[in-house]
Amino acid sequence: MNSEGGGASEEDRPRDDEILAFHHAIRAADAEKLEFVGDKEPLTVLAAEYEAGNPVFKAKVENLGQSYFAIRRARGDGNCFFRSFMFSYLEHILETKNEAEVRRVEKNIEQSKRALIELGYQEFTFEDFLSIFVEQLESALPGRETSVDIDQLVQRCRDRYISDYVVMFFRFVTSAEIRKRAEFFEPFIIGISNMSVQQFCKASVEPMGEESDHVHITALSDALGVPIRVVYLDRSVGADGKNTDVNHHDFIPSECSGVDIPPVVLLYRPGHYDILYTRKDEGRQNE
Amino acid sequence: MSTSTPPQKTLSRIAANRLQKELSEWQINPPAGFKHRVTDNLQRWIIEVNGAPGTLYSCEQYQLQVDFPENYPMEAPQVIFIQQPPCHPHIYSNGHICLDILYDSWSPAMTVSSICISILSMLSSATQKARPPDNDRYVRNCRNGRSPKETRWWFHDDKV
Repeated sequence: MNSEGGGASEEDRPRDDEILAFHHAIRAADAEKLEFVGDKEPLTVLAAEYEAGNPVFKAKVENLGQSYFAIRRARGDGNCFFRSFMFSYLEHILETKNEAEVRRVEKNIEQSKRALIELGYQEFTFEDFLSIFVEQLESALPGRETSVDIDQLVQRCRDRYISDYVVMFFRFVTSAEIRKRAEFFEPFIIGISNMSVQQFCKASVEPMGEESDHVHITALSDALGVPIRVVYLDRSVGADGKNTDVNHHDFIPSECSGVDIPPVVLLYRPGHYDILYTRKDEGRQNE
Repeated sequence: MSTSTPPQKTLSRIAANRLQKELSEWQINPPAGFKHRVTDNLQRWIIEVNGAPGTLYSCEQYQLQVDFPENYPMEAPQVIFIQQPPCHPHIYSNGHICLDILYDSWSPAMTVSSICISILSMLSSATQKARPPDNDRYVRNCRNGRSPKETRWWFHDDKV
């Protein structure tokens, strides 16, 4: 334990508050560059990003264009998986107007709530987060006083208060699912972190800004009963060293069967998630 | 929207609601060894800490000051010891506490009560009463009334 790292003498190193102010300034500048969720952009913007870059990436981005046509970026603040999921799922509800799906997910939310209480979380610690997510779900359905259109949905997901409360609600749900099924998740958690299930939840799930990987995705998808596709854009080239097909993994909760393409499709690049739009939805989403 | 920043921003509506709920829960079920000194200030709590029996701090009494930011619980409260801070390898003589959950590992899932329990557990597991090795330098650097939340903490050792 120590208040600083040692090494440089205290005269020639900046004070902690100066360093922090600097970090905040960088973060603020970053925030101005990119909202919590960006605008929907054609996939060609991704191609432009890799134009002069790694040829494997370039080939893969080209292949990506066969199945997907647009991307919406999420801010890289450690919450990008949860933030992308929030927007993508709410947009799916908005477009499909699927009230039965909202009722179904609300039942799962009730189960998560019971799990949290059984695990010893007091209701007042999560109820505000829960009700803000349920409000967003209801507003995504048509014909209500509070109904939103796509632009309002974007605004809400960019609003710090709403956006962070929904992200935090997903962190509660994810943590409860992992702890409820600790035996199932334990081997995966040991594989990536060397922590106990409870330590992992306290250190890598519940604090804001902690990044997500397949453990978080599996848990959230199972808890809410929402299938999630993650498309992996990396430098791997298959066994023959030439394959530049883009791999994906579908996280399908056990309660779901016969899922074609999951309603939530995310693009993963090492350390970051964004939202992808499939060609299948191209017509409907270009209204 | 106003651009001026008041010195201490008042609690948001949702933060005030949440704190009311924490206070009610505390009154029914306070964490063992702690006593909240009742005031009409919801944004600053003064809490008495009693060292646990059978530990180095048994029969000793300390005071914690907990200040809540406007967007609590998304942001951690500032928690410091006031008056005579306990002599402990993770507690500086200016009352600042080196405990990860107060800074980087804070989660909105935590409460004042869970913070208190962590602090008592930190006190109880001490094997010697000593200040942190860098106490003097750290306290000197904080002389302008800096908040511990502006410190870059390194949490090397979670045994004590």
